Amino acid sequence: MTTITLPARCDRAAAMALFPDFVAAIGAEVLEVDARQAEQVGLAMLQVLVSAKGSFAHVRVMPSDTLREAARLTGLETYLLDEVAQ
Amino acid sequence: MTPQEIQQIFFVECEESLAAAEAGLAACQAGTQDDDTVNSVFRGVHSIKGGAGAFGYVALQAYTHTFETLLSDVREGTVALDEALCSLLLRALDTLSDHVNAARDGSDPPDDAALLAELTAAQAANRGGLAASVPQTEPEPFAAPVAAPAEAATDDFDLDLDSLLDTLVGPAADAPAGGDPAGPEWHLHLRPHAGAMQNGAEPLALLRELAAMGARCIACDLSQVPALDAFDPAQGYLGWTFALPARVAETDVLDLFDFVREDWSLSTGADAVIPPVRLAVAQSSASARTPESAAAPAPAQAPAPAPTAATAPAPAPAPAAIVAAAPSAPERASPSPQPSAAPPSPPASQSIRIDLAKLDRLIDTVGELVIAQAMLAQRLAGDTGSKDELAMLEGLTREIQESAMAIRAQPISSVFSRVPRILRELAASTGKHVRLEIIGESAELDKTVLERLGEPLTHLIRNAVDHGIESAEERLAAGKPAEGTLTLSAEQRSGRILIRIADDGKGIDRARVLQKAIEKGIVAPDAQLSHEDIDNLIFAPGFSTAQAVTSVSGRGVGMDVVRQNVKDLGGRITIESEAGKGTTFTLALPLTLAISDGMIVNVGDQTLVVPLTHVVESLRPAPGDVQGLGSSRQMLNVRGRFVPIVPVANHTGHRGEPIQPSEGVLIIVDTQALGQAALLVDEISDQRQFVIKSLESNFRAVEGVAGATILGDGRVALILDVDGLVASALGQNPGPGTVREAA
Repeated sequence: MTTITLPARCDRAAAMALFPDFVAAIGAEVLEVDARQAEQVGLAMLQVLVSAKGSFAHVRVMPSDTLREAARLTGLETYLLDEVAQ
Repeated sequence: MTPQEIQQIFFVECEESLAAAEAGLAACQAGTQDDDTVNSVFRGVHSIKGGAGAFGYVALQAYTHTFETLLSDVREGTVALDEALCSLLLRALDTLSDHVNAARDGSDPPDDAALLAELTAAQAANRGGLAASVPQTEPEPFAAPVAAPAEAATDDFDLDLDSLLDTLVGPAADAPAGGDPAGPEWHLHLRPHAGAMQNGAEPLALLRELAAMGARCIACDLSQVPALDAFDPAQGYLGWTFALPARVAETDVLDLFDFVREDWSLSTGADAVIPPVRLAVAQSSASARTPESAAAPAPAQAPAPAPTAATAPAPAPAPAAIVAAAPSAPERASPSPQPSAAPPSPPASQSIRIDLAKLDRLIDTVGELVIAQAMLAQRLAGDTGSKDELAMLEGLTREIQESAMAIRAQPISSVFSRVPRILRELAASTGKHVRLEIIGESAELDKTVLERLGEPLTHLIRNAVDHGIESAEERLAAGKPAEGTLTLSAEQRSGRILIRIADDGKGIDRARVLQKAIEKGIVAPDAQLSHEDIDNLIFAPGFSTAQAVTSVSGRGVGMDVVRQNVKDLGGRITIESEAGKGTTFTLALPLTLAISDGMIVNVGDQTLVVPLTHVVESLRPAPGDVQGLGSSRQMLNVRGRFVPIVPVANHTGHRGEPIQPSEGVLIIVDTQALGQAALLVDEISDQRQFVIKSLESNFRAVEGVAGATILGDGRVALILDVDGLVASALGQNPGPGTVREAA
């Protein structure tokens, strides 16, 4: 299992910076994304998570309230965050 | 632009929104309750809510949500805006202001529980009979598989109360043409592109704005998001369909995207679909493809009718269900993704925001330019060939200076607008209800002066209400209306601005003031003081006549601070009071603190500057115009009126015999408290602009001196504090205990 920890500010710059980490993790059975510290979440980071969700067998996201709000706003709450409840 | 800068703009706009909302509520309270006024209040609160959500100020967003919900009821006309509700909304606005301050300062949010309960109660009282019918009547023709209603009802700030109301009161008359006028919702399909995420822009902020208008996401197209190996984090892949209440006009929604239309694709209408992905040109074509390996579902093959998904009451278990709720295939995109009803692009903005530090640098530079121009003029004084060019340079320099100062000028309404809140708070704490009259709020003065004016003004108002205006019972007994009146006025007069704070209260109780001053040892028991002298005792440090110390005023600190604050601004404060009729405080302030016009005069071996704002005229008296008074004073007969002569040399440390009035020049000056006086100087050498440099910060405060400046020849000249000098010369300012002139 590979764990990627998201920073407090998950804006476009953070998405660009972390994207290579996601790519490097390809092949892992499970990707865990620790987003508990995320205080600001932008579309770019959401898209990276969506792409990751489609690239791994299992992606478990540990969301912050902010990430959950952003996911809810964009209709992605179930898609991105459901697995955390499992 | 950095996120911090954007955030800063948000807070500036919060102030504007608060001011607009307060003005609207004040108008409502005064009886103007038309749609425009109510809408202006709603818009103000709504914009703050949108920004609060975008920047993650949860407490602010939660508070504004409740506030906005009630305002929405008011806007819809489902609740009457009576006096009690106006009062509640004004208090709610005050707390909203506190919330904004807390968000800006990073401090704890205010305790809003009680107020929220009041707002909710006011809303519930309005909607009490309606709530029960909502579940039965709420149609969900496009039920979103992405949002669980129960969760939204408990957790989501953007709970769509507006659309619930729509189902009860019917759609607004201005329902968008593209939607079903009889239906409760219409759909907006949208997709941001790469540019929407550049330069600090954040698409989610706009989606939050949409949500704040009552929109909710009913479908998210993630079919275009490639797997990681083909993904480009700079591109925009996701697209959505949002449902909006019918009462939300399409043009209002599209206005949100006015400035980003290039970077978003939008479509509306019954046949519209989510616009296609538009990859940035610089990106490789590989990024555009949707690899088969991607787990994201393929684009919908057909515009699946919404009811199919609509009937699903809970989130579908498979991701595909989330994706396929709306058709989104690029090939099915509307040939014209931009809505046909899109309004034309707005004209270019007529204003820009400027960092104040940049403006200050400009002002400083202009100040140096003024000095350099003066030096050049002095250097070329004898060169007649340069006369025209020098005159032109002087004119241009003045024009630049005035233009630069005008940039900093702001209407005093920005300070006056805070007063209603102060009065509301005072009414709550003292029980005294005061009517406010404002005159001349469009008068402008320098931003720095304005910023530093707030504190003394607040104290004077608190003082007027606490000490000046009587209780309702006392007023009625005195034959006055139960409600007191506070009048704020501002007017420009000869380069200064006069601000008056007048109350119609009981006036200063001079006997008690004098008694208190004697008790405190501020004045001698046998001191003979005029009414003005006694009035000015209230500015003495530590003076207080309050029967009891209150939270409002009466601690004996404050009025002396007020005087000092005004003095620091280069201004003066005077009092006029009449027993039983009220008290007026007059603040005379400079319009700007940086550059002024002055008369350059010589006194002995010194060169001094007399600010032109005080100068009435200058003359050489005939011998018969000057008459002696007492042993040492002289008076000047100015067209039948006698004006005291003040030999400036007596106050400059001049050694030797001062010149006689007939040998020099007399400059008639206006003073704030003592009327006119004639300053005796040796000669007037010039009249020009001067850049004010603080003597206090560079040396120390000197009585009779307002500051210093650099002359064209590089010498430093002192700027006379005309009011202080005259007061001192006429023996009217003997000490802090018997202050006649307040500053």
